[in-house]
Amino acid sequence: MSPLAIQGIGVLGGFGCGLDALRRSLAEGPAAPGQLAVAAGAQELQLPAYLADPAPLERFVNKRATRRIDHFSKMALLGAHLALEDAGALEASRERMGVVIASGYGATRTTFSFLDSVLEDGDAFASPTHFSNSVHNAAAAHVAIQLKATGPSLTVSQFEMSVASALLTARRWLAEERVDSVLFGAVDEVCAVLGHCWERFFPEPSRRIEPFAFARQSAVPGEGAAFFLLTGDEQGRHGRITSVRQGRVAALSQAAGPWLLNADGHSSCSGYYRQLLPGPAAVTAATPHYGSLPVGQAFDLAVAALALGGAGLPAPAGGETLPEPWQPAGGVLEADALGCLKCDGRGNFGAVTLARG
Amino acid sequence: MSPQRPVAVTGAGCLCAAGANLAACLEALFAGRRAPAPPSLFSTGHPASYPVFEVPEAFFPAAVPADPELLRTARLAVAASAEALADAGWEIGELRKLRVGVIVGTTVGSAMNNEEFYRDYRGGGRPDLAAIRRFLRSNPAAAVARHFGFDGPLQTVVNACSSATDALGIAAQWLRDDLCDLVLAGGADELCRTTYNGFISLMITDTEAVRPFDRTRRGLNLGEGAGMLVLESDALVQRRPGRARARLVGYGGACDAHHLTAPHPEGAGLRRALEEALAGAGCAPGEIAFVNAHGTGTPDNDRVESRTLAEVLPGVPFLSTKGFTGHTLGAAGGIEAAFTLACLEQGRIPGSVGFAEADPELPVAPVRQITATQGRLALSQSLAFGGNNAVIIFAKGERA
Repeated sequence: MSPLAIQGIGVLGGFGCGLDALRRSLAEGPAAPGQLAVAAGAQELQLPAYLADPAPLERFVNKRATRRIDHFSKMALLGAHLALEDAGALEASRERMGVVIASGYGATRTTFSFLDSVLEDGDAFASPTHFSNSVHNAAAAHVAIQLKATGPSLTVSQFEMSVASALLTARRWLAEERVDSVLFGAVDEVCAVLGHCWERFFPEPSRRIEPFAFARQSAVPGEGAAFFLLTGDEQGRHGRITSVRQGRVAALSQAAGPWLLNADGHSSCSGYYRQLLPGPAAVTAATPHYGSLPVGQAFDLAVAALALGGAGLPAPAGGETLPEPWQPAGGVLEADALGCLKCDGRGNFGAVTLARG
Repeated sequence: MSPQRPVAVTGAGCLCAAGANLAACLEALFAGRRAPAPPSLFSTGHPASYPVFEVPEAFFPAAVPADPELLRTARLAVAASAEALADAGWEIGELRKLRVGVIVGTTVGSAMNNEEFYRDYRGGGRPDLAAIRRFLRSNPAAAVARHFGFDGPLQTVVNACSSATDALGIAAQWLRDDLCDLVLAGGADELCRTTYNGFISLMITDTEAVRPFDRTRRGLNLGEGAGMLVLESDALVQRRPGRARARLVGYGGACDAHHLTAPHPEGAGLRRALEEALAGAGCAPGEIAFVNAHGTGTPDNDRVESRTLAEVLPGVPFLSTKGFTGHTLGAAGGIEAAFTLACLEQGRIPGSVGFAEADPELPVAPVRQITATQGRLALSQSLAFGGNNAVIIFAKGERA
């Protein structure tokens, strides 16, 4: 495939804001999750969750300009600006830059805020602001408007496969020279309603993801944004994406690895990782640093890029025994490439390989 | 941008308020029939009635019955896909041996907005999680692939009203990239209270039947439906020569980067998308036989489209088919692509129902009557919330 060179990365999540915050988290160990207030009948529970704070967006965009922009789009805007800043491209022309955003569930808080306006005030008083911001591509629109990015724009919602699916198209845009660069981002948010559903589906909340305790449900919900400035150059400041595959589990032939699995504590997905990698493989996971979210694979890409850049790969969380015949990956990465693998609970996979240089 | 390799379209399917399948839709279009009516799928508390274009239950094929575990959007997508695959002459068992991708554009089909569930939740209850399970089973691209047993890549495009046009352009790109042997692509969307209330809140919905490009236009009518096309790789086409109904020869997309809900007043993004599509097709504006415009009937959209078409495609006849279907949002580009392909085959386009009186503010107006067209290329364009603009160009195929 034609390469996707990674020139800049911008991330925010439960670990904090920016690549340095992610590096620190990987070096020092994941922070404790925050708390999300969740209604459970007449009671209120505090559900452990990795929450992201988009307040640093003020560094890039006037606060007044964002007063009608919701949390979801603010996370996207901050991730986008951080990626451009990291690439040294904040002042560059964006006439030929495409925007591609992947999201599992979109702006759920605003979707429910719109329903609040209908249920509280009646159909005739529905909120136009909430409605227009609840549309899935609102975040991409805000990014394009703020950055004056007039290339093509795409938002993909393929649940847990959103990242790999959207990358397939980003790659093609560069290969066909529709654009000179793609600002590729992934965003998901948690909200009280999602928390309520989470508590109902998984009534014993976990405070710590144990990625390889496959029989145990240990997922902790997370939110955040991970953005990448991609070009078709031969070299990228953070390496290159050399392959992207997406499909049914049975369709993947095992590559050498090592592998960074987006095993995020959902026991329903674990069997698919075993099916995809039945033989010996060096594996690890970084999900305890940002939690479980549909677009979690984008954070894995950031971790993989850091590891290939010399930052080291996090070892599997302490005390976990890997399923046979897997071996733990971790520490300084000797291989020149690293696979990032995501499985959902329905037998789909997304596999993205990154390489140095 | 250099010319792109054409991609064969071997099958098309659609259902919407105009008809249960593509042939029935075309018959209604050329007969000038339409039937907007107050919504029957849900009730509302608005003092005025806003007509919609619903798909009657009788329009769904018997092989795609209502499924309580699936959203209506997914059902619409499956029904249109089944027609498209049959039109392409494929046995499903044969397709399961191939790399088949699915790309579906939608808006409602990806939104977690079940009002009944949320009302119960707000009331402090523990609502039945069936609504959430249904949502999680109903991602349109995944639902279509699951129904037919395909195992290739999936993409649900949520680019608002340009979603399906983008889905078709992306499908051609995936085939040129050899990601798939065949891609089933288009769009699907259902009518629901949330979008109904949302569009009314934006004050761009008409209480009368929609009148695209007309001087008296006051907004859109919502609709629902699905339009899906089968696109195939060159290698597959060579195995079954003579199957192409059309070829997708051009695709362009650009963002206005101007406003969340209003188009750029000078049509900056649309112009760029048109130029990109024409360059990709390697053709001159004068070679386009006709344009299926977005033509929603909102004052802003129609003004921008008319001005841009007058400048970029002067003299090219155009029409809006939303007078027959309503605005089907994420499905619109798929349904209109199927109409465009079929009209290109027939060498004629229907009159733009709802258009009666030219607007002096608009430099060009759509055709009023059935119009014979000349040429082998036709263009379909979509504008969307977020400033998205998408354009695709078809060339006649061997089956035409």
